[in-house]
Amino acid sequence: MSGAVKNPYQPVRAQILNVIEETPNIRTFVLKPETEIPFLAGQFVELTIPGFGEAPFTPSSSQFQRETLEMTIMRVGRATSALFTKKPGEWLGIRGPYGKPYPLREFEGRDIYIVGGGVGLAPLRALFLALVHEIKKYGRIYLRYGARTPRDIVYKQQLKEWEKIKGVDIDLSVDSATEPWERKVGVVTCLMDEIPCDVKKSVAVVCGPPIMMKFVTKKLVEAGFPGKNIYLSMEMNMSCGLGQCGHCRLGPYFTCKDGPVLTWEQIKDIEEPFL
Amino acid sequence: MDTYFLANARCGAWFSRLAGRFNLFYPALLEERVHWQKYVPAGFRLEQLALRQIRAAESIKPFLFSPRERVASFPEPLSPDGKDMPTLLFGLKGCDLRGIAVHKKMFLEGEFADPFYARRLANTYFIGADCPVPEPSCFCNLLGLQPFLTQEVDLSLSVLDDGWLVEVISERGRELIDGDFVPANGSQLSQRQAQRERALAVLKQQNPKEWNPNLAGAIAERTSDRKFWVDAGADCVECFGCLMTCPTCFCFLLYDQGNAERFERTKVWDFCYIPMYARVGGGANPRPTFVQRFINRFHCKFMHAKNQNGFYACSGCGRCFTTCMGRIDIRKILGQL
Repeated sequence: MSGAVKNPYQPVRAQILNVIEETPNIRTFVLKPETEIPFLAGQFVELTIPGFGEAPFTPSSSQFQRETLEMTIMRVGRATSALFTKKPGEWLGIRGPYGKPYPLREFEGRDIYIVGGGVGLAPLRALFLALVHEIKKYGRIYLRYGARTPRDIVYKQQLKEWEKIKGVDIDLSVDSATEPWERKVGVVTCLMDEIPCDVKKSVAVVCGPPIMMKFVTKKLVEAGFPGKNIYLSMEMNMSCGLGQCGHCRLGPYFTCKDGPVLTWEQIKDIEEPFL
Repeated sequence: MDTYFLANARCGAWFSRLAGRFNLFYPALLEERVHWQKYVPAGFRLEQLALRQIRAAESIKPFLFSPRERVASFPEPLSPDGKDMPTLLFGLKGCDLRGIAVHKKMFLEGEFADPFYARRLANTYFIGADCPVPEPSCFCNLLGLQPFLTQEVDLSLSVLDDGWLVEVISERGRELIDGDFVPANGSQLSQRQAQRERALAVLKQQNPKEWNPNLAGAIAERTSDRKFWVDAGADCVECFGCLMTCPTCFCFLLYDQGNAERFERTKVWDFCYIPMYARVGGGANPRPTFVQRFINRFHCKFMHAKNQNGFYACSGCGRCFTTCMGRIDIRKILGQL
């Protein structure tokens, strides 16, 4: 419809090309939207489950992969349970991208210390893939990732491949080793007793469950990371995605347009229970 | 701007001419309260216009920000394009406009403008009317507003004994003036001035104590004083009436109905007092207690709005506490800060 006013509430159709079972309750949906969704790492989209409703998710694929996008999603409630009934060939809807991406230009020349927990590795994967795409621009990339058990680790094969990339340093832990496991056992902060980068000149990026983010942030602050260099993915009710409906208010911010990635400096004084 | 006079004998004819061009709504006194009425010619008498009274019981918000609106459909997309007969709101008050200022910020000035709101706003004409006798619920003066309109409407109307004084505010408003109008004379302008000064004096008398000039800072400082907020909201029965009648509240909910083949998306008003309002996927809730939601309302209207937009998201209309079952008067709460 040439010349028509753009309707920001209208989703575009996206076909499910593939569904990858990452863990018993986490799946990666590979989607091909009818209109390209040119997202940047850290931004999110509103995913429509037709006839059911919408929910916000951050793509986990590379921002340089334009025709398709991937979303790694854990089944936690009604929307994600409805989504988990969908199969390849079926259609979803997408609006976006929304929010601010990771400020990669500000990351250039610095070491990047990434800490993820559980399905929180999904947005971090988009960041990681953007970083390694132009790895010479950055210092070393440290990835510290924790999951509940070895079965709950997402991107198992990819993690093995990522460890081989020059300039990348990966360490993993599980809360409990219910099956053979040769790496650390403990919550992800057990990987942070020694932080190998110069904390004053590096940036830290964190995504995971609220309780994990709370304690990881505490560790990072104690280690000397400046608050403005700690980037946190905030989970709020990002409903319209447009900065209008009010549901995702976090102090003075609307998480959907001012976030979802906010620095510790921005949110440390906000009286909300999540962190 | 030019100000014209329309004699009483000619007001009815002008009003009828306007009604022929617009979907016209006007304030009418019905059962001792003023309500917005849609003009229908049958049986209409000009005396039904309640122009000397304070604002209507309902705000003008629903005319622009619909309480319920279809905003998307699937698989055929919904287009916000379309032409309707323009709407004219005749006789709105100064406090009615604060809501529009807030909604413009929220819906039109960000990265993603709401085309439905934009279309409706562009298609609505505003003729304001002085509020000559403010009532005890009025406190627009505490918010830097006045009981009359000098901007942001198309025409501003003052009711005098022998006719209407009409000031042209916008070019669009000038097109509504026709041959029956004559330039206002000095005596008529003086009458209007005296009437406006009386209204200001009434407001000053009933709201003598100004708020803390750094109200936003005072709220921030008081945030952790839970006892203050628990006491302030103690009489709230969580009916959400204050938020429903508030002209500046902008929250909405999007929900879908249909099935996998065909569905519609609807936008409805929503309210931050509702316990599930901020709940996220999986069930966690950042504001699970009422006092948190109560504080959030004050943060939103009097702290974040002021810090980010330079004005309070409050119109001083007093609908919130005239509606409130617990008679919670926000003037008292804000006056203690």
